[in-house]
Amino acid sequence: MESRAPRLRHIRGIVFWILCGLALLLIITPALAIVISVLVKAAPALKWSLLTNSTQNVQNPGLQNAILGTLVLSLGVVVVAGPIGILGGIYLAEFAPKRLGGTLRFFSEVLAGVPSIVIGLVAYTALVVALHWGFSVLSAIIALSLLTLPYIVKTTEVSFAQVPRTLREAAIALGLSRITTIRKVLLPPALPGIISGMVIALAISTGETAPLLYTASFSNTNPTAGLFHNPIGYLTYVTYYYVQLPGAQNQALASAAAGVTILLVLLLIFGGRAITARQRKMVARLDV
Amino acid sequence: MNVRRHASIGFAVITGAVLVSACGSTSTVTAPPTSAASSASSTPTAAAVQTGNPAGPQTLSEAGSSLLYPYLQKLAPGINAAFPNITLTPAAGGSGTGQSEALSGTIDLGGSDAYLSAAQVTANAGALNIPIAVSAQAVNYNLPGITNLKLSGSVIAQIYSGTIKVWNDPAIVALNTGVTLPATPIVPVRRSDSSGDTFIFTSFLSATNTSWASGPAFGTTVPWPTVTSELTAAGNPAMVDTCHSTPGCIAYIGVSVEGAALVDGLGEAELQNASGSYVQPGSSTITAAVTAGASKVPASLAASLIYETGAQAYPIVNFEYLIINPSKITSSDTALAVRTFIEWAISSTGGATADNLSAVGFVPLPTNVIPLVNTAVAQITG
Amino acid sequence: MILVRRRAGGHPTGPARVARTRTHELTTGDRVLQWVSGVAATIPLAGLLFITVILVIWAVPALVYSGFTVFTSDKFFIGNFYNPNFSSVNGIVAPFGANYGALTFIIGTMATSLIALLLAVPISVGGVLMLSEWIPRQLEGPLSTFLELLAGIPSVVFGFWGLTVFGPFLGAHVFPALSHLGVVLPFFKGSWAFNGQGLLTASLVLTLMIIPIIASTTRQLVKRVPVLASEGALALGMTKYEVVRVVTIPYVRTGIIASALLGWGRALGETIAVLLIIGMANNPPVNIYGTTSTLASTIADELDSALSDGTGMALRAMAMLGLILLVMSLITNLTGRLVVRRISSEALPVGRGV
Repeated sequence: MESRAPRLRHIRGIVFWILCGLALLLIITPALAIVISVLVKAAPALKWSLLTNSTQNVQNPGLQNAILGTLVLSLGVVVVAGPIGILGGIYLAEFAPKRLGGTLRFFSEVLAGVPSIVIGLVAYTALVVALHWGFSVLSAIIALSLLTLPYIVKTTEVSFAQVPRTLREAAIALGLSRITTIRKVLLPPALPGIISGMVIALAISTGETAPLLYTASFSNTNPTAGLFHNPIGYLTYVTYYYVQLPGAQNQALASAAAGVTILLVLLLIFGGRAITARQRKMVARLDV
Repeated sequence: MNVRRHASIGFAVITGAVLVSACGSTSTVTAPPTSAASSASSTPTAAAVQTGNPAGPQTLSEAGSSLLYPYLQKLAPGINAAFPNITLTPAAGGSGTGQSEALSGTIDLGGSDAYLSAAQVTANAGALNIPIAVSAQAVNYNLPGITNLKLSGSVIAQIYSGTIKVWNDPAIVALNTGVTLPATPIVPVRRSDSSGDTFIFTSFLSATNTSWASGPAFGTTVPWPTVTSELTAAGNPAMVDTCHSTPGCIAYIGVSVEGAALVDGLGEAELQNASGSYVQPGSSTITAAVTAGASKVPASLAASLIYETGAQAYPIVNFEYLIINPSKITSSDTALAVRTFIEWAISSTGGATADNLSAVGFVPLPTNVIPLVNTAVAQITG
Repeated sequence: MILVRRRAGGHPTGPARVARTRTHELTTGDRVLQWVSGVAATIPLAGLLFITVILVIWAVPALVYSGFTVFTSDKFFIGNFYNPNFSSVNGIVAPFGANYGALTFIIGTMATSLIALLLAVPISVGGVLMLSEWIPRQLEGPLSTFLELLAGIPSVVFGFWGLTVFGPFLGAHVFPALSHLGVVLPFFKGSWAFNGQGLLTASLVLTLMIIPIIASTTRQLVKRVPVLASEGALALGMTKYEVVRVVTIPYVRTGIIASALLGWGRALGETIAVLLIIGMANNPPVNIYGTTSTLASTIADELDSALSDGTGMALRAMAMLGLILLVMSLITNLTGRLVVRRISSEALPVGRGV
């Protein structure tokens, strides 16, 4: 009896770990498959005209208007959601009384759970239709900002909270005002974390399609100045629209847009994590 | 608490500022045409409608019908050559999108195979649907080796209702004596987007099958009966693609894309018309249909050319409309560009050349409709 | 001058934060910053209220029109605009034949997200355990990059891959094999679209999309299992599997549940990938491969034609679907976040898998 039990345990262990290995494969293989298939399908479209032509060009469509549009929208998110999110995070970290802070934090996290299409729908009904802004850059930026605001607030708050006590107490001992403490003492070590929060926000907004479908609509020409009645192109729409059109050229354009989007998002994610890693090292050095 | 009060005031101030700065330019619909002096008749001729090259560059944005799209792609270089300050940027997306975006002013011209509904006209006073050509729709199928399949609207309605499920169903065999039909299951393909092609197809089914007329009826979207094998596609090119990959499929495809369908090996059905003969879409059969229906076109230009009588008349024929909402056109230059484009497009020396039309399988507007178009176009002022 | 407040026992209050400075100790600059940042901090709440209020206002007419049939009827049709008659129910005028029953979409949303959840949790946990227990340190970094890769792929790219590669692959090779299960489970019987579009394909792609959320939390938690406990168990003679079963899993269980709820929330709201893959049919699926639709994908698909409705009811029906989706997402998200809060704020995954 005793000799059989260990073998059974052993077998159970082997079965379990084979299943786990299978699971790991099921994670790795699709990730590889997606990237490879995007690159392979995009290959015919990878020429310089991709960057110089816009989607309007029938013979040799390119992504210039879409790339510029994505950049404009990202800039908009930085300009709108950035200050609001950072200031909000500062308030929660430095000023908020406990209960109020808890409530505000809670609702910020609830906002993070709202599906992006719902935000797009609300922006459409309230801004595009009811306020007569039409498909516009501003309504798109507002939709994206609502989407990403909770992440910026959260990372800013966490970054400030992680600044070592010793620094704060030194500031108090020196009799510094709150605003000076925040500006000169707390902000520098918190800055990398704040930046990585912004970078996450940008990564999310670069990869989104649903909230932009009915706010930005789409434009086949390069972005023009004007916040209202001004549709703008963006990369994810190119993939979404052209993948549904038959024909090798359309599929290649869709894949090329997908590839550029993945590239941008991954650059942002890895960049953000590199900044956070640097911050941890910096903070560790500061903690005496 | 102090902070809460400050916060809510601040929020109100910010919201107020944003709302106030919103655009919303308004313009009124101006009076009907004033220029008829040069012509003896009371209806304006083409010469009486003011056209010309606008002072500055004007881009006319268009979106909508995927049936009209290939034709507009052909017209775009021509209008720019004739009037260098006018650029047309066409796009597809389905007639429903064309209608709603043109009515809301998001785009200048909405391409639609379907005229506006009465409710849309009521909700958007002054909105126009202006035909620029006559097109048609084919019914294609994927049965290798079977050419010249004969179908009637009633049978097709039963296929899309799920009552007829296989190709060798007695109802289909009865129409095709001498042809051996396989026992392949039928896979109907329909449009998933809000589509003018769906509008004219379902109009045809409603005209030929009473239970379809009282059931799903016709429209740019209809409550399609549940057929388990049914597939959907977005846009005419995708209909071709989907049908090409699915043996046994049946699909409704606009003539402007028919060339691709035939090259892909899809068969083109001969449809039974109101006079009982079986015809395929071609310039003579389409012209026969539009000639039969031309006299019924009202001033609003909303007319159906479906199931016209005539031995040679093809049963699924329609006007191709540009939907325009004059109250959303704010500059007189844009209005000039729109008027110029339309007048150029319907003129046989401008856009409606034999080459352009035959490349997409369209035929020109009947002559008695042109004065009505001119009257409508003259209402487009900035 | 700023004083450090002391409690009765003489100890300074609070951790890193200097708590409750009395307002008269703040300079003008401080007060301005407090005021401005306070406004900023309420913007998320204001935004949330704005979203809810707008949705409710726009959805009410459609809810009044449909009554309880919203949840019981699977007939959703925005109406025949070309019929001169209108349909008037409970005082609301809608196009002829308009029906706003959301049952199809509720079923589609729940089915896809539940299947995705049931598959994603074991795969994520199994994969992470494999990564932490068996893969050598040097390989662990590069392999975990694949997790980050999966997290960074935008949803439209998942949809693109599902439509062009994965769906056809499933339709040609996997579904025929699965249909043998149809003997035992009738839902697995039947036919499927040649390009694989349908419920099962959409659920599988959703699984891939929520794996990063669950896996990243699990990974952080597994790293924090007390070494003493796990190595002590090994010392007692347990196999690696038993250590996982007895020590690791109970430790990480709550975190897995919490992140699973967050992943479920993401799956509920996923729009574009589902739109491209699920086939967009307005009826519940006939079998597990069948085409259907979800709340999010229907809104995205039909919103532009909703404007064609002269009565304006179609837009309100869309807002109604949005409201239902919002409520569903909020419930799952709130539950997940409340559970996570009890563990640790550091383990909180950033909701969209990034």
